[in-house]
Amino acid sequence: MIIGKKNHPPYWLDWLLERFCAPHLWEEVQGDLHERYQLRLKQKGINKAYWFYFTDVVSYLRPAFYKRKHATQLLYTDMFQHNLLLAYRTFKRFKGSFFINLIGLSLGIACTLLIYLWISNELHIDTFHEKDHRLFQIMENRKTARGIETGASGLFAEILVRDMPQVEYGVTVTPPNFFPKFTLRTENQNVKAVGKYVGKDFLSVFSYDLVQGQQDKVLIQPDAIVLSESTALRLFNTTNNLIGKTIEWQVVNLKKPCVITGIIKDVPSGSSEQFDFLLPFEAFQNIMGMGKEITWNTNSPFHNYVVVKENTNLDQFQHTLDHLLKTRNSTAKDISLFLKLYSKNYLYGTYENGVQAGGRIVYVQLFSLIALFILLIAGINFMNLATARASRRIKEIGIKKAIGASRFILILQYLSESLLMAFCSLLLALLMVVLLLPQFNQLTGKQIHLDWDLQMILSFAGITFFTGLIAGSYPAFYLSGFKPTTILKGIVPTSWSEIWTRTGLVVFQFTLSVVFIVSVIVIYKQIEFVQHNNLGYDKDHIIYFETEGKIANQSEVFLTRLKNIPGVLNASSLSGYIINSYQSSGGNTTELVWNGENIRYNSLGINYDLIETLGITIKEGRSFSNAFPSDSAKIIVNETFVKRLGLINPVGQIVDGREILGVTKDFHFQSPHEKIPPTIFRLERQYNSTIVANIQAGKEKAVLEQLAIFYKNYNPGFVFDYRFLNQDYQTLYVAEQRVAILSRYFAGLAIIISCLGLFGLATFTAERRRKEIGIRKVLGSSEWGIIYLLSREFTRIVLLSITLALPVSYVIASDWLKGFAYRISLHPWYFITAGLVALGTAWVTVGIQAVKAAHINPSQCLKDE
Amino acid sequence: MRRSDLGEFEEIVLLTVAVLTPNAYSVVIAEELEAQTGHTVTTGAVHAALQRLEDKGLVNSQMGEATAERGGRRKRLFTVTVAGSRVLHEVQAVRDRLWQRILPNALPKIDLA
Repeated sequence: MIIGKKNHPPYWLDWLLERFCAPHLWEEVQGDLHERYQLRLKQKGINKAYWFYFTDVVSYLRPAFYKRKHATQLLYTDMFQHNLLLAYRTFKRFKGSFFINLIGLSLGIACTLLIYLWISNELHIDTFHEKDHRLFQIMENRKTARGIETGASGLFAEILVRDMPQVEYGVTVTPPNFFPKFTLRTENQNVKAVGKYVGKDFLSVFSYDLVQGQQDKVLIQPDAIVLSESTALRLFNTTNNLIGKTIEWQVVNLKKPCVITGIIKDVPSGSSEQFDFLLPFEAFQNIMGMGKEITWNTNSPFHNYVVVKENTNLDQFQHTLDHLLKTRNSTAKDISLFLKLYSKNYLYGTYENGVQAGGRIVYVQLFSLIALFILLIAGINFMNLATARASRRIKEIGIKKAIGASRFILILQYLSESLLMAFCSLLLALLMVVLLLPQFNQLTGKQIHLDWDLQMILSFAGITFFTGLIAGSYPAFYLSGFKPTTILKGIVPTSWSEIWTRTGLVVFQFTLSVVFIVSVIVIYKQIEFVQHNNLGYDKDHIIYFETEGKIANQSEVFLTRLKNIPGVLNASSLSGYIINSYQSSGGNTTELVWNGENIRYNSLGINYDLIETLGITIKEGRSFSNAFPSDSAKIIVNETFVKRLGLINPVGQIVDGREILGVTKDFHFQSPHEKIPPTIFRLERQYNSTIVANIQAGKEKAVLEQLAIFYKNYNPGFVFDYRFLNQDYQTLYVAEQRVAILSRYFAGLAIIISCLGLFGLATFTAERRRKEIGIRKVLGSSEWGIIYLLSREFTRIVLLSITLALPVSYVIASDWLKGFAYRISLHPWYFITAGLVALGTAWVTVGIQAVKAAHINPSQCLKDE
Repeated sequence: MRRSDLGEFEEIVLLTVAVLTPNAYSVVIAEELEAQTGHTVTTGAVHAALQRLEDKGLVNSQMGEATAERGGRRKRLFTVTVAGSRVLHEVQAVRDRLWQRILPNALPKIDLA
């Protein structure tokens, strides 16, 4: 058969079919139709064939044949490529805004990443223990006249293992910093190390890896010692074949031989408590003569930890525990026990009136908030520059909409642009993080590494994605909302709401910056106040060290010889510490009854000359003196003590059976958060454990060298391990100092990023008003007039921010200062300075652009158009 | 599974595919059905039914050879799958069982000649 033109089915029906039918079906459908047409042509003639061809074509007009194959998938990859290309071109064309955005966003992201690393490190402290979720500390709430006091309970954990079926392990341990550093001694090596006494199941409760020795046996025998690897290395230069070796430990004037039974890995940095070796608690009981008898007396300083069995009902367990205590100890009716997850202690460790409140978690929350704000400030730059430059892209948007782009597709385009921007910034931010991490670690006192594990990568990507999304969302919705009919006519829609939004965002940025600056000033001033505040004694040139060995036995002889060393101005001794970070203030807390009221006060046992050595001023009466043997029964009190008891003419009065010999001015032995407690000094020369010496200012190094030689000769076998009192005082507010330094960086960052944004906006405004400036100059406006014109708007914005920021920062600052017992008053100058700094930087930023614009040659900018 | 439910037209198309294998495609199936029933059967209806059957997994298809009548275009040839065969057998079995249970005088007599 010949297929001629005449035999061809009607073309218009074919055309109709091609419009309708999906391309991938064309071949078979047309083939079938044509074949059947030919068949009918032969059988029934042209008219019928024509008619049947028509009905056949119509029979194909159904959805099953209309559906296109893979059409959507292709569209999206194409669009994606197109968006990337456009983003790349936009970056290239507007290099200025690209770099402003890049620098702003990467600074913001870098800062957030560092804060993320810090927070995730904080959250993981103490969580490495295998039985973490079952490991609890026994705590108690004790009702007192001043409210509920919360603390560690002295209940012996070991008996709980016996008496309560829910308890798998229980250990009693000495709290951190309970002892000064021990001296560990081999035949030819002396080493200072931190040690603690722990119950026999300590290593089953806590997951400190034992590398040598048997886990359940190492702490059984009373003369055992378990060393950390680094301690073993310091003592023996090896960790091999040490099991069974005998060494000697000494603290103050106690010493005992012990046998190495095990070696543990060094305590990981993720542990809140750091120690170098462990001794069995039984040894401590033997030394203190506590006996093996188990007491239900809760009043002891020890920490007790239990591991409960899986699926224990905690409420019920607490209840049973409390009940058990009350049946065994009738005096404990004011005490209620509760369990605290060990790993929660680090972040949620402070209590107010029996309820958990604050703690380190406050800093975690604070820094999270700061990270969010800095990201917002950086995101706002992107928003403002993108919307301000909308006129540049208005034709693009108009044409796209006119040829059928939906709003969704345009939103997608702008979001992908901002996401691309954010991920470019991430690369730069990662570089900054890698470079800054060592300094950051030093600043925060942590050992943070970049692990590149999945969680970290996901979080980093998440942070960046979030940044890109918030930065891109407003421009995306704003730009995609234009009407193509108006914008293609060349009218740039500038609505009031848009200008207000942009102004509002800049105001927000600068408000945050001003708040940050005020915080920096207030924190700096407070810390300076605390540091240089007259503490009532000379902390800068005082050293102290523990009495050990020969010194412990002959402290008087040692002191006399010490005083003879040139450069040592004075020396004395006391029992306990002056500043103790664990107990937070020196001495023992005792109570006396005065006029029917219980008064708690600190009592320090001191030697002659201690008051003089520390440089504490005697206000009334006199200090202890050798010349009056009866002084040993008398006391010296501080001003607060006098005030608390309401004494008039205190010298010579008898308090609690002891005569007051003198009154000293108040002095700060404790953290700046606490009030000075009533304090007494009593003369106590036998049990003094700390030697204190005042060294001549400016000669510290030479005197210390001499002291070291003297110490070595006088007290062979011991390490001259001295500390400056100043260092101890610093550790009392190390957290505040860290916040101070960090807040300085954050404030700097906030203002830099905000100014970057302002710079971008100013550049843009100057560009847009080029012609106006040209005409003004032609008409005789001076350069200053132009500068005024351009900076007026921005000045108003910054002034508004300052007005908003001041009350906010006042509230924040006074709230923070409330935590200090001794604090600065908020001087108006702090706020004025912050405002001036913000205004000044804004002026400089805008001014550069304004001056550049004012120098414009009118003939240049007016020549075209 | 409702997807495998078979419409009346689908069933008869499926059966015709079985009859015409290995040369079953839309045109010959439609022609065959027209010849058997005497009604006009459009290609599109048959093609759509075949597509549905293929979606349900009752027939397979591959492209066959091209012919001159088709303007050099290839045809799509259909064969019954195992699942299709099972469905056909089931349908037949159901009908057979029902036919056998019809009592001798239950149906009015009609002249089948």
